[in-house]
Amino acid sequence: MSVDGVTDIFRRVLETAEVAPGSDFFALGGDSLLATRVLSAVAREYGPELSFEDFLLAPTPEALAARIGCSAS
Amino acid sequence: MLGVMRAAVVGAGLAGLTAATGLAAQGAEVTVFEARDRVGGRTRGIEVAPGSWVDAGAAYLGDRHTEVHSLVAELGLKTTPATTAGASRFTLGGAGGRTRPGRFPPLDAVALGRMFDLLDELTAAVRPEAPWLTPDAAALDAVTAGQWADRHLTHPDARLFFPLFLGEMMAADPADVSVLHMAFYLRSGGGLRYLNAFEGGAQQDRIAGGAHQLCERLAAELGDRVRLSSPVRAIHQDEAGVTVRTADGSVRVDAVVVAVPPALADAVDHRPSPSHRRAGERTARGCAVKVHLVYPAPLWRAEGLSGWSVNSEGPLLSTVDDSPDAGGVGVLTGFVTGGEAHRFAARPAAEQRALAVAQAGRLFPHLPEPIGFHVTDWVNEEYSKGCYAALLGPGEWLRHGPRLTTPHRRVHWAGTETSTEYFGLMEGAIRSGRRAVAELLATY
Repeated sequence: MSVDGVTDIFRRVLETAEVAPGSDFFALGGDSLLATRVLSAVAREYGPELSFEDFLLAPTPEALAARIGCSAS
Repeated sequence: MLGVMRAAVVGAGLAGLTAATGLAAQGAEVTVFEARDRVGGRTRGIEVAPGSWVDAGAAYLGDRHTEVHSLVAELGLKTTPATTAGASRFTLGGAGGRTRPGRFPPLDAVALGRMFDLLDELTAAVRPEAPWLTPDAAALDAVTAGQWADRHLTHPDARLFFPLFLGEMMAADPADVSVLHMAFYLRSGGGLRYLNAFEGGAQQDRIAGGAHQLCERLAAELGDRVRLSSPVRAIHQDEAGVTVRTADGSVRVDAVVVAVPPALADAVDHRPSPSHRRAGERTARGCAVKVHLVYPAPLWRAEGLSGWSVNSEGPLLSTVDDSPDAGGVGVLTGFVTGGEAHRFAARPAAEQRALAVAQAGRLFPHLPEPIGFHVTDWVNEEYSKGCYAALLGPGEWLRHGPRLTTPHRRVHWAGTETSTEYFGLMEGAIRSGRRAVAELLATY
């Protein structure tokens, strides 16, 4: 459970290896449909069920990891 | 030896005109029979203001639609990006209208994500070039998308959004399509994300001045080889050739390309009869009615809105800003799809207008009365019988799929419904026309 894990979710959903912890999801071609798939993966792997608003406020792996409270581990 | 070949093409849509153009370029003597008094099939332009056109039918294309792009370039046309900047409006599940950034609906994002995960799993498993050979094809072809949703979508937000999504993607009521057809359609069009997206997806661009110009320009080059208002009644084959009959007479040819939707191909009197029909009892019409509301300008943009909306109450289940590039007016296009399309199409014109104008007014505040209003009912269009494309219900892919492109002696099949690539789209139509040309070149 880490920024690495969320970065990996971004990579799988966006189908690109070019994701860094600070990469913006939308700048990498992400859209609303793909964002829902990031959030379903986050829920499956880490538990918290986040909203679209949460995602818009935290559209990078590190920000999203902080939001789901897993950045410390 | 194509130099002496005579061919008839039935249908002057994109597939038929692509085929006719290709055959003519090889020196064949071609006659195109078109039932309507216009070419274009499921592309059609409406002039909403002098020199400003909108698409009453097929409209969008993306970078992967390589054949459309080549045709656009060959014909001296240009594309223009679809406009999506701004916030969206949503009226979902009894809640009032809500404004949201981008295209995020005010629904449970995780529930939608789980739904898209399931759809992606189905889509990824399909054999796109031969969906009937997909693992578990028989089981997937036995149930409707509606039955699948009842079983697999448990969250109310997913159940609410699923039919809207399917309506947008393929103009289908979930009860009309098999799970196999749904998965195939999504895969054929490039997958969930590509088919859903504007920028970077299948709705990235429109054709400046309207998609109908593709067929108009192809037909202009073919000249008097295209015969309008000439529905083909009969196609009779014998050992030496084919007689194609219209109300006005007949022509004798070596081969025929039938480039019309499956139900219309079956309506022709074929002799001898093909061993299999093109459409079955569970083949439904694509359910799309397109509504254009014309305003003095795209007034919603001034309020930071994109014109995009998604609504669970009809008639307009989604709207999009289709204002012509030429400027002058603002056009809001409303999509009425699925079961809603049948209900809306059955209403008197005055009621259609009142309902659509009132809904647009609720979605986009401060809109004046529209200066123009157009309804294009594809569901009941005699010579299309639905749009975007025929919908294959339970059992149809297993029954019809293996013979999708198999010629009936000298009769070859084209049309977007015969293309496993980009099925239902302009791209599929053009690819099918090119394939038919290749078949005739190889045979005659």
